[in-house]
Amino acid sequence: MANLKDIRDRIKSVKSIQKVTKAMKMVAAAKMRRAQQNMEKARPYSRSLSEIIEHLLPETDRELLPLLEVREVNRIAYVVVTSDKGLAGSFNSSALRKAQNEIDEFGREKVDIFCIGKKARDYFKPRKYNIIESYIDFWSDLNFNNAVNIGNSITNHFISGKVDEIHVVFNEFVNVATQRALTEKFAPLEVESNKDKISDRLYEPSKDEIVKSLVPRHLNVQMWKYLLESYASEQAARMVAMENATSNSEDMIKDLQLEFNKARQATITTEMLEIVSGAEALKG
Amino acid sequence: MTNFKLEIVTPTEINEIENVSYVRCPGSDGSFGVMKDHTDAVIELGVGEIKITKAGKDSYYATSGGYAEISREKVQLLLETFESSKNINLDRAKSSIERSKDRISNKRNDDMNRAELSLIKALNRLKVSYR
Repeated sequence: MANLKDIRDRIKSVKSIQKVTKAMKMVAAAKMRRAQQNMEKARPYSRSLSEIIEHLLPETDRELLPLLEVREVNRIAYVVVTSDKGLAGSFNSSALRKAQNEIDEFGREKVDIFCIGKKARDYFKPRKYNIIESYIDFWSDLNFNNAVNIGNSITNHFISGKVDEIHVVFNEFVNVATQRALTEKFAPLEVESNKDKISDRLYEPSKDEIVKSLVPRHLNVQMWKYLLESYASEQAARMVAMENATSNSEDMIKDLQLEFNKARQATITTEMLEIVSGAEALKG
Repeated sequence: MTNFKLEIVTPTEINEIENVSYVRCPGSDGSFGVMKDHTDAVIELGVGEIKITKAGKDSYYATSGGYAEISREKVQLLLETFESSKNINLDRAKSSIERSKDRISNKRNDDMNRAELSLIKALNRLKVSYR
């Protein structure tokens, strides 16, 4: 039986850990709500841009813009979206595992990696994967400019012909309890063509000019969407993980308390036995 | 009825303005005005000033570009940025002007187009803020 002081110390430390996990859960919940709102706000913009593209792209010559060019796939770039911080359940590991599987399947020497978030960099760097660039320490003040910067340098990598396709691995926010690691093709741009044509619509300066300026913007908005989804997923995953940790520590405290009571009772019993047997001995 | 509904959509917010009678936008080939029953169109916008007339009152906004999507039911402006003339941060615009001028004159940045564009954007915000 462990001694009383040890058990009391352990209860104390578990309780203080519980305070931390509880606080982290609350912070994650608040951040997740904000992230969800940002996702809602971003949706109409990206939907409207996609609608215009869906109308225009089927009529557009793919050679108009390098970003639309479909080439034979010899090299791929992978953009892996993770967080800077851990303690978010399987959030990072599931995205990293998915990315690694796909990269290894294609052949790691033919893949360039863009790491978003510390966790991706810390995972791929020691494993000697071919990292082109890492973006870290921006999650705490995430804004649209981050997406534009990341989007531009990734699309430049494609335009310069260093890779023939770009894939993005990120965590899709399904709901608070479910996040799913997902791969999407980022470039060359593919959209479902929209059949119901709007006739007699005026395009200024011209259809081609609009496609030229619209496609890069659309891709930046896509990147923004990936970042927002991933951020919301991260917070949701952390919230659930911390919720579990809090209830686990609750169980642990209960068990320790029981052990403590048993130990205390055992000490009392032993002491009483000693007194009684001492008295018996005196009676002679 | 000579009024229409204007929707201003950016990546981070949505503004709906009902009963707008006139909106002037900075098209990439010069500015143009939209009133009710404009023909359906998609028009590219450049850096410039947006003027919205509602109930006889004008309000001014700065934008760094986007698209105007005009249809029967409404006019939608898809903008990268959208700032009311009253909310423009003057200090930020001025420091941005200094920074881009510095970049252009010292030629240490090889990305001249970007420096120039940011100068144009900053000057535009400054201009609109004096409305």
